[in-house]
Amino acid sequence: MSLSRVLIYSLVLLAAVFYLLPLFVMLMTSLKDLEEIRSGTLLSLPQGLNFDAWSKAWGTACTGVDCNGMKGFFWNSVLIVVPAVIISTILGALNGYVLTKWRFRGSNLFFGMLLIGTMIPFQVILLPMARTLGFLGLAGTTSGLIMVHIIYGLAFTTLFFRNYYISIPNELVNAARIDGAGFWLIFFRIVLPISVPIVVVSVIWQFTQIWNDFLFGVVYSSGDAQPITVALNNLVNTSMGVKEYNVDMAAAIIAALPTLLVYIVAGKYFVRGLTAGAVKG
Amino acid sequence: MKALKIQNVEKTFGSIKVLKGIDLEIEPGQFLILVGPSGCGKSTLLNMIAGLESVSNGNITIGDRDVTHLDPKDRDIAMVFQSYALYPNMTVKQNISFGLEINKTPKDELEATVAKVAKMLQIEPLLNRKPKQLSGGQRQRVAMGRALARDPSIYLFDEPLSNLDAKLRVEMRSEIKELHQRVGTTIVYVTHDQIEAMTLGDVIAVMKDGEIQQFGSPQDIYDNPKNQFVAGFMGSPSMNFVPCDVKQGMNGLVLVLESGGASHELPVENGIEGLSEYVGKKVVLGIRPEQLTQVSEDKPDTMTIPCLIEIIEPTGPDTMVTARLNGVRTVCRVHPTAQSKVGELMPLQFDMSKAVFFDPDTEQRIY
Repeated sequence: MSLSRVLIYSLVLLAAVFYLLPLFVMLMTSLKDLEEIRSGTLLSLPQGLNFDAWSKAWGTACTGVDCNGMKGFFWNSVLIVVPAVIISTILGALNGYVLTKWRFRGSNLFFGMLLIGTMIPFQVILLPMARTLGFLGLAGTTSGLIMVHIIYGLAFTTLFFRNYYISIPNELVNAARIDGAGFWLIFFRIVLPISVPIVVVSVIWQFTQIWNDFLFGVVYSSGDAQPITVALNNLVNTSMGVKEYNVDMAAAIIAALPTLLVYIVAGKYFVRGLTAGAVKG
Repeated sequence: MKALKIQNVEKTFGSIKVLKGIDLEIEPGQFLILVGPSGCGKSTLLNMIAGLESVSNGNITIGDRDVTHLDPKDRDIAMVFQSYALYPNMTVKQNISFGLEINKTPKDELEATVAKVAKMLQIEPLLNRKPKQLSGGQRQRVAMGRALARDPSIYLFDEPLSNLDAKLRVEMRSEIKELHQRVGTTIVYVTHDQIEAMTLGDVIAVMKDGEIQQFGSPQDIYDNPKNQFVAGFMGSPSMNFVPCDVKQGMNGLVLVLESGGASHELPVENGIEGLSEYVGKKVVLGIRPEQLTQVSEDKPDTMTIPCLIEIIEPTGPDTMVTARLNGVRTVCRVHPTAQSKVGELMPLQFDMSKAVFFDPDTEQRIY
């Protein structure tokens, strides 16, 4: 093995350790009891596999006044994420399809303005969106939060699909039109079946964004309807005398697990989808 | 009844006029070629016949129906695209039957049509493959199969052979011709390749700058080009254009030709009346390479002029030699055994019976 190879691998290894170390510390801490945490170091291994902190984080830890753990909020997040991801992806696909294959007067301007949506920080829309939700009677509801995520994500999903569909030859759509297919039939029978790579990208992106969102969650939901990120914050901030680091860590891992899982399962499709347009000859 | 009638069709994009009033008609069963350099509007015209692009002005009639504002699916047409445009997610069989399925063709009829088309194009073994798994020629066949399955009143071909390699292109060209002879349906075929135009077409429309320059049979266009553009575009190698002075000779008009350091007088033998107005002025002599040959005993009365050879390009059956006439490079088609050497003078025979003349300013033919 040449010197440069050694250098490259050491660098890669270093980077991996750098990113994995926090996860390692979290995992180890979550498996220790409070006594071990106090007496041992941050990196020391636990004496045994002790899942007490995990079951407490899941079922009985206090998030404010209620002490029902993370489980209810985990399902809250699922209920928010699943419809928001599905709807924003479908709408993004339709937008991309229209913007590339059924152009209208001003469609480029429309797309340009939509792109600005990808650059708007969360904080900017907090107040106007709160007013809008109140006006619509959706303030503090799960559907309201879902709507916010859909609207905010639409700029991104549209961008993904539009850039993917621009590489699909228009002749394909023209051939289908001559064959007698209309707008929807072409979309569902021809365009959507060849969109798998970009659907994966859109789903992963939206899933992580929405699952990890804290700001919208904390602002637009209340009480029992709050997503897991808000619950995690409450759990860590609620202390009964002693700080239970093991429970905090277990809760944090639980909150991060779904996005981690999505990356492990579909990560390679994510990279493939992102580069799909670029390598097409 | 005409198979296709295009009346004063125009297309404008913003302020740019892409098509400037196209008029043409073809009979049922004819093979029409739209040919021209890129940007001449031929593909736009085809897309307008297909209904994929709107018509800014004028009318398109297919059979006895005015289709100017109909959807593509209601025009009773089928189209073969340059990129084949096969549906990548479907098998060959699904590609062929997609249109039938949409039109709610009964299952057994659909199966029968697919089988018939597959047999005709010899793609039966490929029916269950995806387009990705096919070679260029096979994709081309499937694209044609998809069009055939629809059994339309007009087939539209948009440069269908330009993505194939040279050998396959020639093969598919004869296959398309054979197919047309067999099914006898009207075809409109767009190409930029003048050889395809000559070999396939019953009628050719040569286009340039959004206008039809000439409309006629291949032979007519080859022999009687209306202007210098058509003359230069059709034929390979192209027609030579030599600017010459016209003079009144002893037995009629002559052209003055400078060749090999000497001046020659070339009689104009085919009595073109319009030329007499150009005495003392310049005209452009249009003469095809095959009319400039080695000296042969068969045609004793043609004019022979010694020419200085600059380039020699053997093609096998003939050799193209380039000489310089009036300062212009001129390609001549000679027999390989007759070729001379570069830098030498070679006597070449001028067959003026098919020569044509153009006005140097308007580039229009002088009759």
